[in-house]
Amino acid sequence: MSGKKVLVVDDEIHIVHVVAIKLRNNGYEVLTAGNGAEAFELACEEKPDIIVTDYQMPVMSGMEFVEKLRSNEATRDIPVVMLTARNFAIEDEQKKGLGISQCLSKPFSPKELLENIEDILYQRQLVADN
Amino acid sequence: MKLGRNLNIVVTGIVLCGLIVGGLAERQYSGTEEGLRPVVQVCYIVSAVGVVWLGWRWQKLAGAITSIAVQLKQGKPVQGICALSEAINERANKDADRIAELEKQIENLQIQIQLSQRRGKNTEAIIYSIRDAVIVVDEFDKLLMANEAAGRLFNFDFNSSQHKPISELIGPGKSEFVDFLKQSRRNRAGATKKEIEFLKNTEPKTYDCIISCVYDERQQVCGTVAALHDITREKEIQQMKNDFVSHVSHELKTPLASITAYSEMLADGEAGDEKTLKEFCLIIQNQATRLNRLIEDILNISRIESGLIKVEKKPVSLTILMEEQLQMIKSAANEKNIEIATPKPIVFDQVYADKDMISQVIVNLLSNAVKYTPAGGSIKIKTEVDEIAGLARVSVIDTGVGIPEDEVEHVFDKFYRVSANKKRAKGTGLGLNLVKQIVEKVHNGRVFVTSEVGVGSAFGFELPLAKSETVRV
Repeated sequence: MSGKKVLVVDDEIHIVHVVAIKLRNNGYEVLTAGNGAEAFELACEEKPDIIVTDYQMPVMSGMEFVEKLRSNEATRDIPVVMLTARNFAIEDEQKKGLGISQCLSKPFSPKELLENIEDILYQRQLVADN
Repeated sequence: MKLGRNLNIVVTGIVLCGLIVGGLAERQYSGTEEGLRPVVQVCYIVSAVGVVWLGWRWQKLAGAITSIAVQLKQGKPVQGICALSEAINERANKDADRIAELEKQIENLQIQIQLSQRRGKNTEAIIYSIRDAVIVVDEFDKLLMANEAAGRLFNFDFNSSQHKPISELIGPGKSEFVDFLKQSRRNRAGATKKEIEFLKNTEPKTYDCIISCVYDERQQVCGTVAALHDITREKEIQQMKNDFVSHVSHELKTPLASITAYSEMLADGEAGDEKTLKEFCLIIQNQATRLNRLIEDILNISRIESGLIKVEKKPVSLTILMEEQLQMIKSAANEKNIEIATPKPIVFDQVYADKDMISQVIVNLLSNAVKYTPAGGSIKIKTEVDEIAGLARVSVIDTGVGIPEDEVEHVFDKFYRVSANKKRAKGTGLGLNLVKQIVEKVHNGRVFVTSEVGVGSAFGFELPLAKSETVRV
């Protein structure tokens, strides 16, 4: 999946940094943002292949950001992986409704995150090829 | 006496029988049978003897009465009269005892009635003194009793509402309560509990409603008692606690997430060069420190509240403490290009305080000012001394986002976060509560705040000045 573009969104700069290093080490192109509002602008401009976003962020939360992505034609189909420090904060129905592909609880393993991203992109690829 | 009286009656009977039998025999058989004549004669003779004997008895009785009268006239004691008198006295005594017993019973009954009335009044007084609303209705759901709290809650006057159907007294907005009351009676429930929400003077309130049925001697429901306890505040506190746990877990997990992720990267050899490896180690170290500070904040509040914290008070200068803490937040202020105006030196601003705790207060106020002031803003620090009141006052004035008027009074509450500013910066809602606890509970000082949305906020505190003699020169 090298060469794919990933947008990483978190107000915790260290989390963005570590995820970016992990993904870059594995051949991904990484874009970063510190809140939902910044990330939405970037998503519209760059159209990433997948987005990794935090749940709770200042200015615009992860959920508001995903809702905005889904209401925009250009960003509607981008898969989203959500990181959250709140267990049970996202109901399954809400997750399905917003098309959130995967939810990972903080603290998370960068290795597990990478595996999830690769799985989601692989599934997408299969669907696109068929 | 008794024998004599009975003998008189018997003899009188015999005389009467003799006369009747003699008379009848003479009339029936006169002139027919000669043989019956002796029977008639015997009857008359027996009657005559009886009459003579009775005459003798009455004469003897008259003589005895005369004798008693004479003896009484002469003032001599009379044996028969004494016995009579004794009998009468005995009877009178018995009657007096019975009367006394009855009087005592009446008195007891009166006491019982008074006690019962007092108990009734006490029960009413108890019900009236209860702060919770209490309503008692009969088996037809008509009002029997209600205390003042119930009258206030449902807007009715008890005196003019007695025996009226409860559904007429309680408006449609509170029909859930009436339905629950009726349902409990129909179900013959011993005690049922339900949380009911409705408006009290346009204010939403939550009540814990407990309804119990009252049974008569035939075990039939003869009424229902309802008690409504206002649990609005408890619910708010519960919600605040839940929010707190949620906030704290988020705040604890954030540095923990960095520590976990970077250590995994180190273990997997993804740090690459020496410089990145050092950077990762430093991040882990900093995040561990952040985690520790957060835990300390939570523990400090808990220790202050429980009175277990160790306090080391000595004279310290607020200006010097302020200078020291300014260095701590300078980098964060520079990142946002916030200008900080420092205080003018004051000759004597020594307070008798725990240096570490007051440093914590100052750094919390300064970091909040930086957090909520937009980039390019400014922060002004004022240190004043009121010698007359014996107080030193520190104010941190920012050009930040400000706090809405209705939320200002809550900012020092534990777990409270200004709703409009939650998205602007992260926090546990503990920092300002810690400030308040340290200033007011540990140092007998006072915290204050003034704010205007869009203009800025001024947070500060006052501490009693140290007495000159306690200051070492």
